Amino acid sequence: MKIPEIGTYAISFLIILALIFLLPRLMPGDPLTAICGEEVLVVMTPELKAELMHRFALDAPLWKQFFVYLTAMMHGDFGYSYYYNAPVLEVIFEALPWTLLLVGSSLVLSTVLSIIIGIESGWRRGKITDKFLLTTTMILNGFPNFFIGIILLLLFAVYLGCLPLQGAKTPYSGLSGINSMLDIAQHLVLPLIALTLAQIPGSYLLMRNTMITTLKEPFVRTAKAKGLSEVAVRYKHAGRNAMLPIVTTTGVRVGTVVTGALFIEIIFSYPGVGLLSYNALLMRDYPILQGVFFIVAVFVILANFVVDLLYTKIDPRIGVNNAEYAH
Amino acid sequence: MIELRELEVRYGKRRVLHGINLTLKRGESLSIVGESGGGKTTLGLSIIGLVEGTVRGEILFDGKNLVALAEKELKEIRWNRIAMVFQNVENALNPLYTVLDQVSEPIVAHKLGDRNEAKRRAGELLSMVNLPEGRFYAYPHQLSGGEKQRVLIAMALANDPDLIILDEPTTALDALTKVEIINLILTVCKERELTILLLTHDFYAASTLSDRMAVLYAGRIVEFGPTPALLSNPRHPYTRGLLRCYPSMTTTKDLQGIKGRMEFFDDGCPFHPRCTQSIEKCREGAPRLEEYDGRLIACHRGGIIPLLELRDLSKSFDSLKAVDSIDMTLYEGETLALVGESGSGKTTTAKLIMGIFEATEGRIYLERKQILGRDKSFYQRVQMIFQNPMEALCHLFSVREAVREPLDIQKQGNREQRESKVQHILEEVELPSSETFMNKYPHQLSQGEAQRVSIARALVLNPKLLIADEPTSALDASTQAKVVKLLLNLQEKRGIGMFFITHNLALARKISDRLAVMLRGTIVEEGPSSEIISNPLHPYTKDLLKAAPTLNSNVPIVPKTTSKKNEGLGCPYANRCDKAIEVCFNEKPQLRIFDSHRVACMNL
Repeated sequence: MKIPEIGTYAISFLIILALIFLLPRLMPGDPLTAICGEEVLVVMTPELKAELMHRFALDAPLWKQFFVYLTAMMHGDFGYSYYYNAPVLEVIFEALPWTLLLVGSSLVLSTVLSIIIGIESGWRRGKITDKFLLTTTMILNGFPNFFIGIILLLLFAVYLGCLPLQGAKTPYSGLSGINSMLDIAQHLVLPLIALTLAQIPGSYLLMRNTMITTLKEPFVRTAKAKGLSEVAVRYKHAGRNAMLPIVTTTGVRVGTVVTGALFIEIIFSYPGVGLLSYNALLMRDYPILQGVFFIVAVFVILANFVVDLLYTKIDPRIGVNNAEYAH
Repeated sequence: MIELRELEVRYGKRRVLHGINLTLKRGESLSIVGESGGGKTTLGLSIIGLVEGTVRGEILFDGKNLVALAEKELKEIRWNRIAMVFQNVENALNPLYTVLDQVSEPIVAHKLGDRNEAKRRAGELLSMVNLPEGRFYAYPHQLSGGEKQRVLIAMALANDPDLIILDEPTTALDALTKVEIINLILTVCKERELTILLLTHDFYAASTLSDRMAVLYAGRIVEFGPTPALLSNPRHPYTRGLLRCYPSMTTTKDLQGIKGRMEFFDDGCPFHPRCTQSIEKCREGAPRLEEYDGRLIACHRGGIIPLLELRDLSKSFDSLKAVDSIDMTLYEGETLALVGESGSGKTTTAKLIMGIFEATEGRIYLERKQILGRDKSFYQRVQMIFQNPMEALCHLFSVREAVREPLDIQKQGNREQRESKVQHILEEVELPSSETFMNKYPHQLSQGEAQRVSIARALVLNPKLLIADEPTSALDASTQAKVVKLLLNLQEKRGIGMFFITHNLALARKISDRLAVMLRGTIVEEGPSSEIISNPLHPYTKDLLKAAPTLNSNVPIVPKTTSKKNEGLGCPYANRCDKAIEVCFNEKPQLRIFDSHRVACMNL
């Protein structure tokens, strides 16, 4: 990774920080409420108010407020939720693993599935399999993810009753080890499918298109002429080249998947960051919301960074080792 | 080893290959040349069964018909028996794998060795094609064009094939790399006794890498024969056109193109819209490949036709033999330059052709028919331009009248048609066709304009043969350059055969396809211009070349006339030749064939 690219990430990180800092201060009404959430009014005393004013330096000029804000951030102080009566970071970290599990597995699953059906579909362009896949994903594309979620919920949890209705694990079950993992997996199935299905159409179409273009490349002809097996031509030569744009967009997709997870978590009462921020929104628990914004932003940036690193591994044309062979 | 029988490939309705019949024996090399888009790559791909269109006909490989073979069996033949060196375009190699991986891949895929064994063999091959060891693990984008070409060659050799198809292996390489690659291919193919099928538009590669050559145009083979013969003496108009477009160090004539663009036809000769000698028949049916003088040619006219043939032509004025049994052939669309000093009989020859003088002996053929009498139709086919345009144009005629006169004489068309023809031809010779210009009289014109007017006058009847007697020697250099370019362009467009008389060898070299050197009424040397210039055999030609203008300040030493009298019995150059021996004075040398020249010299 070259220095300027790291610079890009640093700049976007700073911009996000500044936005999160400015947002509550630009909201109409009392900035103190905007920073601490409405719940603070319940416990508000003149002493507390003075203390909070001092802590956030709300009487000082904006630049000084920003400085105070940055210092607090650096100490891991993201504020205090008066609703949960706990530090923001603590609350978020409780929800975060579930979202990471859901979003992460959905990202991986949707990418892998899109790549495979995209390769097969592009290879059989115009044939019956291709037409079937194309039509199915088009229909799928028409449904928003929460709609898919509701249908799955009704079908599998309500009517068939074969999968749990809500939550991420059975409460107070006292399960441990492998059983606990199975329990978690069972709870994960429906939200994961809902979220993944919504992701597939876009990636699949992109994969199918790049596959079709890649198949026209001269090296595909070279591979065929070498007498390689069809699977090798399709996956090793055409497929791997066609994968490149999908990998790039995966980084960008992290943001959308997280947003999608918000709805899915609400529907399935999945105790992740989405559900947390939904409740925070209802309760006007602004510190939580700001914390969530920050964490999500950081993860999106991180994900993009990882994708960039990954890309240099997949595509040798991008990366630092070119210099060794430069003419 | 491989035989194509009536091979035909279609992409949808478009027929890309048409009735291809070729045979290639083990160890032979054959090149298919032609412009891009002519079907060369399709031909190559159809042999390894990778063409996307529908294939008809037979491709017999060791007796097996590849067209009818199942995919599974084809896979076994691909790379094991028939390998292809693909054109080194962007992404001919997979950008994501190292070159060693890609070279070893077919070895593993065909189970000829495990991964390590394959890598070792691939490494050997890459070393053999002189790829530095440090580059084995490089990705294609890290290699230069020449290195990629080497990798492609090494890859093709991986499974030790019998037949190797080379698709443009030298295109886009710089000169030195090209020679290296050609040498590499030559050594490798000789060592392994490979059969080569070369697809290229590069005549240099074809001349060095193939014994036989087939010229492909719009999906059909138009000429087929031994490579050296095809290159030195192309018999199909397309082959000649291609060679004229190809800059090489041996050609001397200015580059000329082929008019029009390539199109695919189902009926008629595919080349007829671009051919300058096409007749009605060419439009109707496609010609078959037939043998003419040891060469296969697909042409209704049997290849480039001889436009003018002089056979034993002589002219005597009393006791003086001005022209002494000369023998020459001028082909359609070509320039034959007749070079010699003044008084050598050049102009007399021209006048004999035009019928101004009656030949004492000999025959003249125009388009294969002997000229017995000259009527109006003869002058429609043959026209002449002269040395001094001011004298050649009648002072009493305006430009319009001068150019229109031939039409009036031939009674072609009505007034308006003649008028528009005059305007058209003036534009073609790059003169204004405005009313003011057409009303000018010769004395109002510059030398260059006057010569163009006389060219226009000569061309207005659309003649096939143009006799040009020193047409530029009265013009200054810049005008001469323009007139010469004009004549060459007209030749390219209309296929005019030019009989160009000049004493200027430097000029003759730039405009002629064949050169004849004339001395005292006889031809002393004749042959392709490039040959005569690069390898003159007759002492007179050598001296003429020495005396031809160069831009360095050395004044050449040319022989003086010796006191020895030349009775006219022996060689016409005997008294000036420093190598002359006794016999030169007594016996007249006959024209004898040396390679592609004909030379009349006792000392050879």
